[in-house]
Amino acid sequence: MELYVPILVLAVLAAGFAAFSVSIAPFTGPKRWNRAKLDAYECGIEPTPQPVGGGRFPLKYMITAMLFIVFDIEIIFLYPWAVAFDSLGLFGLVEMVLFIVTVLVAYAYVWRRRGLDWD
Amino acid sequence: MNGTIPAPTIEYALLAPMLVVFGAAIIGVLVEAFAPRYLRSAIHKPLTLLTLAGAFVITIWQARTGIPTTPSAMGAVAVDGPALFIWGTILVLAFVSVLLINDEGHFVASAAAVPGSAEEERALTEGATHTEVYPLVLFAVGGMLLFPAANDLLAMFVALEVMSLPLYLLCGLARRRRLLSQEAAVKYFLLGAFSSAFFLYGTALLYGYAGSVDLAKINTALGSVGGQDTLLYIGVAMLGVGLLFKIGAAPFQAWKPDVYQGSPTPITALMASGTLVAAFGALLRVFWVALGGLEWSWTPIMWGVAILTMVVGAILAITQTDIKRMLAYSSIAHGGFLLIGVVALGNNQQQNASALSALLFYLVAYGFTTVGAFAVVTTVRDAGGEAWHLSRWAGLGKRRPLVAVVFSLFLLAFAGIPLTSGFFGKYAVFQAAVAAGATPLVVVGVVSSAIAAFFYVRVIVLMFFSDPAADGPSVVIPGGTWAVGAVAVLATVVLGVFPQPVLDLAHTAAQSLFVR
Amino acid sequence: MNPTTGPTLVDFGHDPLWLSIIKAVFIFVVLMLGVLFGVWFERKLISRMQHRYGPNRAGKFGLLQSVADGLKMGLKEDIMPRTVDKVVYLLAPVIIAVPAFLAFSVMPFGPMVSIFGVETPLQLTDLPVAVLLVLAMASIGVYGIVLAGWGSRSPYAILGGLRSSAQVVSYEIAMGLSFVAVFLAAGTLSTSEIVAKQAGGGTWDVFGLEIPQPSWYAISLLPSFLIYAITMLGETNRVPFDLPEGEGELVGGFHTEYSSSLKFAMFMLAEYVNVFTVSGVAITLFLGGWRAPWPISIWEGANTGWWPMLWFFIKLVLVFAFFVWVRASLPRVRYDQLMAFGWKVLIPLNLAWILLYATLKALRVPESNKAFILTLGAIIVVGGLAIWFRFDTLLQRRREAKAAQIEEEFEQLREEPEAGGFPVPPLDLPHYHGVLPAGQASTAVKEVTSGSN
Repeated sequence: MELYVPILVLAVLAAGFAAFSVSIAPFTGPKRWNRAKLDAYECGIEPTPQPVGGGRFPLKYMITAMLFIVFDIEIIFLYPWAVAFDSLGLFGLVEMVLFIVTVLVAYAYVWRRRGLDWD
Repeated sequence: MNGTIPAPTIEYALLAPMLVVFGAAIIGVLVEAFAPRYLRSAIHKPLTLLTLAGAFVITIWQARTGIPTTPSAMGAVAVDGPALFIWGTILVLAFVSVLLINDEGHFVASAAAVPGSAEEERALTEGATHTEVYPLVLFAVGGMLLFPAANDLLAMFVALEVMSLPLYLLCGLARRRRLLSQEAAVKYFLLGAFSSAFFLYGTALLYGYAGSVDLAKINTALGSVGGQDTLLYIGVAMLGVGLLFKIGAAPFQAWKPDVYQGSPTPITALMASGTLVAAFGALLRVFWVALGGLEWSWTPIMWGVAILTMVVGAILAITQTDIKRMLAYSSIAHGGFLLIGVVALGNNQQQNASALSALLFYLVAYGFTTVGAFAVVTTVRDAGGEAWHLSRWAGLGKRRPLVAVVFSLFLLAFAGIPLTSGFFGKYAVFQAAVAAGATPLVVVGVVSSAIAAFFYVRVIVLMFFSDPAADGPSVVIPGGTWAVGAVAVLATVVLGVFPQPVLDLAHTAAQSLFVR
Repeated sequence: MNPTTGPTLVDFGHDPLWLSIIKAVFIFVVLMLGVLFGVWFERKLISRMQHRYGPNRAGKFGLLQSVADGLKMGLKEDIMPRTVDKVVYLLAPVIIAVPAFLAFSVMPFGPMVSIFGVETPLQLTDLPVAVLLVLAMASIGVYGIVLAGWGSRSPYAILGGLRSSAQVVSYEIAMGLSFVAVFLAAGTLSTSEIVAKQAGGGTWDVFGLEIPQPSWYAISLLPSFLIYAITMLGETNRVPFDLPEGEGELVGGFHTEYSSSLKFAMFMLAEYVNVFTVSGVAITLFLGGWRAPWPISIWEGANTGWWPMLWFFIKLVLVFAFFVWVRASLPRVRYDQLMAFGWKVLIPLNLAWILLYATLKALRVPESNKAFILTLGAIIVVGGLAIWFRFDTLLQRRREAKAAQIEEEFEQLREEPEAGGFPVPPLDLPHYHGVLPAGQASTAVKEVTSGSN
């Protein structure tokens, strides 16, 4: 646990600084009220009304997020394997090849179904 | 750092049926990825059927070469008598369901398109189909094989997810009534995810109690660990919720009618047969192996659940006007009958074996009948797809007597009329329950059977003694459905008239009970 | 501690609290000053590359330019648009800044030194999973991006946030995979031990010849290092992957609505600190850490005492200069190219390299079954190539079809007399009011007012 205390110290320091900066920002500058200044910036046109709750966004991003989870979990399995490679030996290698091949099958499927294409 | 971690021993030969199914599923994904569109279906159909048949042959071969008496794969999987029997059952039922899936017109052209949109129209005219159905079915079947054979709770959870996730997806792929299908998929997914969370939480608590997720070790801990009963009871309750949800036992039955109705009918057949069999196998293993020593605590609750399930299933089925919903409620009621067998656990090995063999027989009998019934549902069609409303079935016996007779046979088997498979199934389970002293439960079972018989007979009456509507539905029977119907009729009649071989088989499989 | 290779995991966790606070404050101050210096250094260097002077008014060589910028930022009016989700909007800068600092807590600056009589490593702390902490902090930083875009409630911000997060997570995978080979070689995730492993290479025995192994993983694991060098540009949204701030299309991307004041300064700060972090990781994992490179290391005392901190910061400046160099040389890529490169090139290459390296490593274990491993390796290579070729032919076919289609469209346009051979928009678009195409009845055209499509 002692290993984590210094991280906590740095976290308090950084969070304190960031929170301080954000909270004093309104008091350090001038205040000149202007209706247009407080609109969302859209290069000068009337701001597009945003739907309540954020509205929809392209499905592409969700596919990317799901693929990210798949591969991130693959990485999480790869790390301990890499660290313990010498102890696991050949069995570990064969199992990891099988695992990566299985993930790659799904990857090939996504690739072929244009899941990785952006337009 | 320099020490070597010993490689686990894995009995690949014993796990071969599962490995074959999973391997074929992965090949199926590769086919999806690399085969041109016009070839996919032609590759998938034989691949899937051969895989299931091959896995079945391996299962038979294993059963003949001797059933292992210890768990395999470092204690993660138990390939024992009941597991092999259930594997065989699931594989045959899945084979039959795939025959049903093979017939055209059950699945959507483009699942991602908004129902009724231009994209959907275009996908339809292009003749696109989701051949992904086949690998998904194989993954689900693989999960079904692992679920009842899992010997520790983590392997069981993995199996639960592998079984459920493809099914969630398959539910949303019906070609007709898209919105209903999508709704079914979302409902099943949300509730299923919720029940998985219950299962996992229960696993965590039981691990906290016993210090192991291994079923046998949990049972050992029941006698030795003291002072943590709260952990144990909450854990058992959570685990029970997760498992009973998959069976569709009351009060966790709410998803079943909606999902069975909205799914493509062949998938409903697969779920109603394969998933139920797998889930009962897992339930039995958890409650008999891991919690056998806690019998006095969970039996009263299981009594309540069984009674509630039978009554809810039978009574709510009466009010249904939709054939698929009615069959769903019938499936709930049958889950209740099967639960009677679960509580028939005694201290006597012989008695337990006879209860187990009764359950196994019931599962086989019910599985075939339900696949057959859903196969008949696919054949009666209106302009907008299958005719689900009961009024559309009026007078079917006069227009297509053979279909009506076959459907009546399945309904009679559901009702448990003698000379059908359902009779011996119910009889064996009730007998085991009486032997275990659960006579009141059997009385409730018989009463709800009588209530259920009412609505089964009502459909038969409707089919044979009403006049057919002028614009009645047409009956289309593709080749695969023919075969499914024939197999189901054969099974229902043979198991009803001459049940002894299968009873013997079930008895042999149940003889040594579950390995520990 | 091993006197020749430096501290290992056992040397950590013994610091008194006051020493941890001193170290943490030191890291904090170094990063703050580093940002000020970094902004100046980047502007100055890129100016020289473009034959300009860059900032030269504030202080000697314009050194105080970024201080002046920072002060000015603090004295600007703080604008918070009316439509924003206030809590999320205010939280985002904090969420993006804090993890950027935290990643530096496991960065090794040097060996054991004596601070006020306490023997301690020149590193805030080390964990058995130190590199994982760096990756985790990078992931939490993504929350800041997403929340900033989401909370701003404006189309530019939300699109910028989505794009940016999609890009960062995509490159994070390639980045995480490029570390795997390092862990295979080092057998640990602890940063100090990875540095220690790069202290001196062994020797390769090739046909009786003793060839000294290079000790830096950048050389022995070159593919991993190259991939990491690319992903660190993508991960920090730097040129050529600075799509989120593509000024031409998205104004400022996810921080469009943080138009001035110290809230914007947080984003700026986090961006530069992230650049330092990925540079520090590059140094630690691939470039020998704080250890002096060869000509200096001949001197006995180079890797002892406080000197290594100097080597570390020199390396940091050089890696940062690489970032600036890339910015001066390369144009921005297109978004689809960016994603395609990350997903279709970096990830498969990376996985293939990891498997290849693991196979080679398994071959070196004396008692292993060589024939089996070689067969396995051959199957991997052949299978990978087969799939690659299949893809390649398919992609080629698709590309040709696309080119043919474009050519066809071009031909069609050329044939139109009024187009004069150039692709100009037709004059009868529906929103040109009143002008109807010849031969078309006025009732057939539904007028669409401008701005609605």
